[in-house]
Parts: sequence; C-alpha cells; structure tokens
Amino acid sequence: MDGDSKERVRLVDLIIPVSAVVYAIYYVASVRDFPFQAQITGLLLGSLLGLLCTIFFIRFIWQARRSGIRIGWIDLIGKPSIGLKRLIFAGLILLSTFAVPWGGFTLTTFVFLVASFHLLGVRPLTRVLVTAATAAIAGWLFFIVLLGARFPRGPFELLMSYWI
Amino acid sequence: MDLTSIDTLSALFLHALGYWWIMIPAVLIGIVMGAIPGFAAHNTIIILLPLTLAFDVETALVFMTALYCASHLGGGIPAILLNIPGTGGAAATTLDGYAMTKKGEAAKALMLCFVASVIGGLLSAVVTLFALPVLAKAGYYIHSVEMVVIMLFGLALIAAIAADDMLKGLIAGGFGLLLGSMGADHIYAAPRGTFGFLELFDGVPLVPALVGLFAISEAIVMIEQRFVVTDGSTNKTVSWGETLRNFAFAISRWWQITWTSLLGLLIGILPGAGASIAAFVAYQQSRLYSKNPELYGKGHPDGVVAPESANNGVTTGTMVPLLAIGVPGGSTAAVMMIVLQYHGFPFGPRLFVESPMLAYGVIMAMVVSYILMLFMIFPMARYMSRVTVVPTNYLVPIIVAFSLVGAFVPRAFIFDMGIAFAFGILGYIARKTGYHVAAILIGIILGPLIERSFMLAMRISNNDPMVMFSSNIGNVLWVCLILTLAVPPLIERRRKRAAAASGATAG
Repeated sequence: MDGDSKERVRLVDLIIPVSAVVYAIYYVASVRDFPFQAQITGLLLGSLLGLLCTIFFIRFIWQARRSGIRIGWIDLIGKPSIGLKRLIFAGLILLSTFAVPWGGFTLTTFVFLVASFHLLGVRPLTRVLVTAATAAIAGWLFFIVLLGARFPRGPFELLMSYWI
Repeated sequence: MDLTSIDTLSALFLHALGYWWIMIPAVLIGIVMGAIPGFAAHNTIIILLPLTLAFDVETALVFMTALYCASHLGGGIPAILLNIPGTGGAAATTLDGYAMTKKGEAAKALMLCFVASVIGGLLSAVVTLFALPVLAKAGYYIHSVEMVVIMLFGLALIAAIAADDMLKGLIAGGFGLLLGSMGADHIYAAPRGTFGFLELFDGVPLVPALVGLFAISEAIVMIEQRFVVTDGSTNKTVSWGETLRNFAFAISRWWQITWTSLLGLLIGILPGAGASIAAFVAYQQSRLYSKNPELYGKGHPDGVVAPESANNGVTTGTMVPLLAIGVPGGSTAAVMMIVLQYHGFPFGPRLFVESPMLAYGVIMAMVVSYILMLFMIFPMARYMSRVTVVPTNYLVPIIVAFSLVGAFVPRAFIFDMGIAFAFGILGYIARKTGYHVAAILIGIILGPLIERSFMLAMRISNNDPMVMFSSNIGNVLWVCLILTLAVPPLIERRRKRAAAASGATAG
C-alpha cells in the first residue's frame, strides 16, 4: 500500500503551479491598460509560465489517470503533532512581525523566543527565560547599539535610552 | 606606476600590510555579518558609513575592501551548516555544501569553502592587479544584448539545478522571473503586479526574499529534526590532523578553484552581474564539464568549490569598472564610490593618474586581506561544524528572530519582514513539493535585470526583436547557451545507453 501511495500523484504538488498561474493572470490583468512597452514583460513571461504550467497540468492528469491521486497533506505539513507545532510557529513569526512596531525589537524578540522555545519543547521555564533574555539582549547590543539598525523603539529601548 | 618592478610591488604590498590593524577587525566583522542572512557587505558598510567617513580615504577603502572580501567567505558558513546562505552569492553553495553536512562532512565542506574563497579571491586579486588596464576594456564590449544572453545562462541553470524534474525547475524559475518583474516598469513607471502595495513599487526586495526563501522556510522544515543533521553525532569537532588533511584535500582542487575564480572575476567586471549569478554560472559550468555530473547536488566537493571561488572572484571583479572607468560593478563598489566622492577623490582613469597608490592599493588590500584570512580558516573549519549539533529547538527560533532583522535592515520597512514571512511560506511549500527554492531565487534576481537590458535593446533598435542577434559576441554567446542546454541531456542519454548496454552484456 505504501509503495502504491508513493506512486500516486499528490494534489499538493499543484500549489506552486496554480499560484504561478493565478499570479500571472493577475500580473497581465494589472498591465492591461498600460502602453505596449509596459505590457511586454508581463505578456512574454505570463505566456511562458502559462505554457510550462499547462504542460505540467497535462502531465499531472495523465499520471493521475494512470496511477491515482492523493492529497499529500501529511507530506506537506508533517504528522499531526509536528504539523500543529509548525502552524503555531508560523503564526508566532507572523504575530512577531505585527508586534514589532509596538513592542520594539528587544521585547518582541524576547516574547517570540520564549513562546517558540516553549512550543518546541525547551524546558525548564528558567532555561527558556534565560536563553531568550540573553539572545534578545545580545541582539539589541549588536544590531541596535553597535550597528544602529533603525528598528522601532519599544519600552525596553526607551528605558535603556535614559541610561545610555 | 610600473607593476612589473619587484620594488614597486613590494612597496605596494608593505604599504597595504601596514593597514593590518584595520583589516583584522574588518575581516572579523565581514565574516560575522556575511554569515547572518540579509547582512550583505554593502548593508554593513552602509550601516558603518559614519565610521568610514570619519577615517582618511585610504583607511576607509582598506576597511571596506577587507570587510567586503570577508563577507563573501562568511556567507558560505550558514549555507553549508544550515542550508541558509548568508549572502545571495552563497545560495549555490547550499546545493552540495549542506549535502556534505548531512553526510557528516561539515568540517571538510567548510575547509573546501574557506580554501576556495581565500585562494580564489587571492588569485583573482593578483590577476586583477596586473591585468587591470586590459580587464577594464571587457566592460566596453558588453552591451544590453550581450547582458540578456549572459543572464539567460542563469535561466539555463534553473533547468540544471532542478535536474530531478526539469519541468518543476522551469516553473519555479519562471514564477521567480515574474515575481522579479513586479513593480514599476522602466519606461512609464507604471506599477505592475504589486497588489496595490507602495512598498513593492521598486520591485520585490531581494534581501527579504532571500531571507524568506532560505532562512525562514528552512527553519520551519527543521522543526521536525532534533539536530540540523539527522544524526547530530556525525559532525563532531575534528582533530587538527584531520583539519590539515581537509586542507590538503581542498588544495588538491586547485585547478577547479583557479578557473572558477577567474570566471567569477570576468562576470564581476560586468556591471550588474553580481556574486549570485557568478556562483550559479560557475556551479553549472563546473557540473557541465565534470566527469561525474551525477554527483552534484549530493555532496560533491567541486559543487562547494566552484560557487565559493567564483563569488570571491567577483569581489575583485566589481572593483575593476569602478577603478578603471568610474562605473561601480556592484552595490559595495557603489558605496566605495560615494566614499571616494565624499573625500574629493576622482574615480576612473583619473584616479590612476592622480593617486596610483590608492587605486592599486585597493586591489593590494584585497590580496593582504585574503592572506590574513588564510590564518583564520584553520580554527574556523575545525570548530564551526559544532553548530550542527546544537539542538534545533534552540537554533530555529534564534535563526528566525535574527534573520527577520536582516530582512528589515536594508530598507528599514517593517513591511519587508512580512515579505520575508510570505517568501518563507512559499519556500516551505516549494521545498516540500520538490520545487527548488534556488530556482525561484535566481528567477527573482534575474527578472529585473533581464527586463532592463531587454527593454534597452528594444528601444535602441526601435522595437526590432532581431536586435537580439545583431552582435557577434551576442551570437557566440547564443551558440554557447544552446550548447549548454542541449549537451547535458545528450551526455546523460549516452551514459544511460552505455549503462544499459553494459548491463545487458553482464546479464
């Protein structure tokens, strides 16, 4: 059965070509009212991508008719225990990018690291807190104090600016 | 200045060596920053610009060149150990470097990377020193048509890299090209495919795309492993004896290092064609002419040597048009041009007339920087492979947190961190479904470059597409390109036939 399922084509393999075709259509639509010279790249690349994806879809259908089809969800996100961790971790990354303007670099990095370490199984909590605090402060010293990266200032940076 | 005289050369060398005090910190900063995804040399130099402007012009240039050379060496470290290139030029190093790490050969791969970088960079710097006036002329013969064909070589690589499924490789590359063509068009400044975001008006920012496609996607993949490599015990610290044997092995690839670094030097001379293109071209050419092309992508030493020597060959190459004709060959050279301008120095031919010591001194500073790096590679190659035995539950969050900083720094837009996240998800899906992320990245890099050269050629020729076949150099390059695409499948077919025939005879 396993060997059989390996040969079956996976629906998840279509994500990239379908996304490419959707973006190509959007790209061409976004230039439809422009002069020809502004359209030419979109038309050339869109046609090329459309041709390649059409060949891929034909091959996919041909292989699916020959050996069957499966979703391939586990191949994409992993077993349920890992898959859930992955989704939460991706959510944490997204949340941290939204939080930076309010929390500033150091505090956001600290909270992100604490949550991620805990999610990925680092124990005990003291080790999580110490490692996260060390990494966040090292990052602050290196990127902000030493290199002067223009990150939004948060409570920690404002507090430290009184001392430094 | 007579460079054929030993006296002049030794005076130049000793003069450059006198700046060791600024070179050593510059090399250390360069290696560290090169190893952090997103912190390319020009970003670091821009961040440190107030410091460099405070120096006198010679110290500033020595500092910048040393940092620039070292950052290319540093970029290979995470590419080999973590499958995350520190700089775009190291993206091709991941293909075989990480495969070697997975086989427990991280220390060997690092030594190959360091030796190829140092010897390749040193060699191209020495060649540049003597051939500067001749090399400078190469830039005059490369116009928009030739640039289009050269960059199409990059597209040929996409097929070569994704050899397991060429169609998937081409789709990934085509998708990358279209994403790379996002933003304002070159003539009417009309925004195309930007989803209405002003931040994408200038196109897809390369650094966040690199960070997302490689660092974030790899971090999300890594969650399922306990260590970076499945068996953490295979990459323990090697002995000094083993380190020396790895060094001797790396030196034994001297011919590979020589020709790929010179290829990098030639590509570096072309304005706009940077380390990423050089590294991929060198990788593909090395594979094309190899006796064992089937080993590439599976941890072949030459697959590490070729891109690393080429991307270090580029470092001196980008200086050639700046020094010889006053046109910066890359972004770091552009920053150096600003520093020269700030100090009131001329660039181009006048620099050689008015300040020859400064002009040749920049290249000699590169020679000295590479010599200094030679002494640093032994301890680095011995101990750095230990990174792979750090448990991933510590490593993954730290990689993501610091890579996002790299995505933010070049433009200081929080939006770019979101871009890195989006490309991280795209890269993750690509990795899990067999579409090579390097193919997407090379498409994104080449997209705007091909478009600019293509549009320029079309405008010059009043929209006559035959202009693409109007130049002799261009036509030779077209033939080479067709051969590059056609020869590997033919060789492969012949090998399969030979294997089948020998199998039948044995049976």
